[in-house]
Amino acid sequence: MFSKHPRTDEFETVALPHLPELYRTAARLLGDGAKAEDVVQETYLQAWKSFARFAPGTNCRAWLFKILVNTIHHHRRSWFNLRRIEDSEEILEQTAVCAAPVPERIAREQILRALNALPADYRAAVLLADVDEFSYKEIAGMLDVPIGTVMSRLSRGRKLLRGQLSELARSYGIGEVGT
Amino acid sequence: MNTACDNARGHLDAYLSRELPEETRQEVQLHLAACPQCSAELETRARIRTELQDAVRATPVPTGLEVKIRRALNDNDKVPRPRTGLWAVAAAAGVILCVVLVGILRNEANPEEAILRKTSGRLAAVLNVGLRDHLHCAVFRKYSKQSLAASEMAADLGPGFADLLPRIQAKLPGDLRVIQAHHCEAGGRQYTHFIIAGARKDRGKLVSLILTRRQSGESLPGIDQTSVDRFQVVGFESHDYLAFVISDMDAQQSLQLAASLAPTVREYLAAHAAG
Repeated sequence: MFSKHPRTDEFETVALPHLPELYRTAARLLGDGAKAEDVVQETYLQAWKSFARFAPGTNCRAWLFKILVNTIHHHRRSWFNLRRIEDSEEILEQTAVCAAPVPERIAREQILRALNALPADYRAAVLLADVDEFSYKEIAGMLDVPIGTVMSRLSRGRKLLRGQLSELARSYGIGEVGT
Repeated sequence: MNTACDNARGHLDAYLSRELPEETRQEVQLHLAACPQCSAELETRARIRTELQDAVRATPVPTGLEVKIRRALNDNDKVPRPRTGLWAVAAAAGVILCVVLVGILRNEANPEEAILRKTSGRLAAVLNVGLRDHLHCAVFRKYSKQSLAASEMAADLGPGFADLLPRIQAKLPGDLRVIQAHHCEAGGRQYTHFIIAGARKDRGKLVSLILTRRQSGESLPGIDQTSVDRFQVVGFESHDYLAFVISDMDAQQSLQLAASLAPTVREYLAAHAAG
């Protein structure tokens, strides 16, 4: 009665329910559905290989996301010319001084476009915290950076996102001046 | 906008994410109560977050992806080996305890037979009834590890089970305490679920006491134990309920905990069923 080995069906029962979230996060991080599919599949294969070492009491969802983040990181260089974070600092400065109100109703397409415009590192932090609702500590573990770095990426990423949305409002001629 | 507003706004996102230390959270809350502008700003940020979640979650997942992954997993037939050393120790401890406990509890003439019966598929299926909810609700759901106040848990449980809460709490050894208690559903079945955790967050234990109404053909007359992956599942029946103690503790601790909770649960359910 104590000899049950971890089996594929057990792994599938605990790990596969997280598939939609993993795919959606991958799709937003990569901006490409086909690559997201590949990455998610690779994530599951990696996870299965290390399932026997999966530490008791650990959160399976966070563990899968960490593997996903690592897998994406591994492919990043070959797939992308990532926009450097420094490029966005200028935008950040601009949006900080002239904040227009965020429009009352934001179309999904618009908010996704604003998200896509964020540099990859900021986008990852915002997605993991605000959409997938991981704690800052969990995100630090996934991205393998100090928690302070997570907080700073989040702060800048969220501010940029708001800036993009205000920009949208301004382009529609809504609300000229912020607070 | 003044300094207080600047200060509060610097914390609004962390406030929404529940990442602020308690003292700062209270300060921000006080400011929000007094400042309509910052309240409006908080509302805007919360709205952006909800819209962002809705937008990302509306992304369709390719229908064939799950099938593709299942196939890849089955093709990739390298079954990882468990840590046999630890496993053997846990198993040995469990077997010894089972012999002793089953002997005491069931007054069995031949405890080996009783243990052997536990390996049957039917019992595994019954024990899995409880394991499903533990996995679904306590382990992998995004439930907050936050400890709720007794009054909140009592409200979540409702009058039927609220009285059971202090009795369970009284039986918990060491640093274990009930952190959440509620009714939940997994696989179309209703459960009453007490989530129990150790006080130390970093190396805390996670335990579920799970009650569910017995369905036809389900029976756990003794105290039965199995281990599935890293989980210890101990189950027993009480009146028209099945009860489970599921944990990431070792076999011995798990069985001891179940044995100390069983009389309380049985007594309560007997009175509950009668009343």
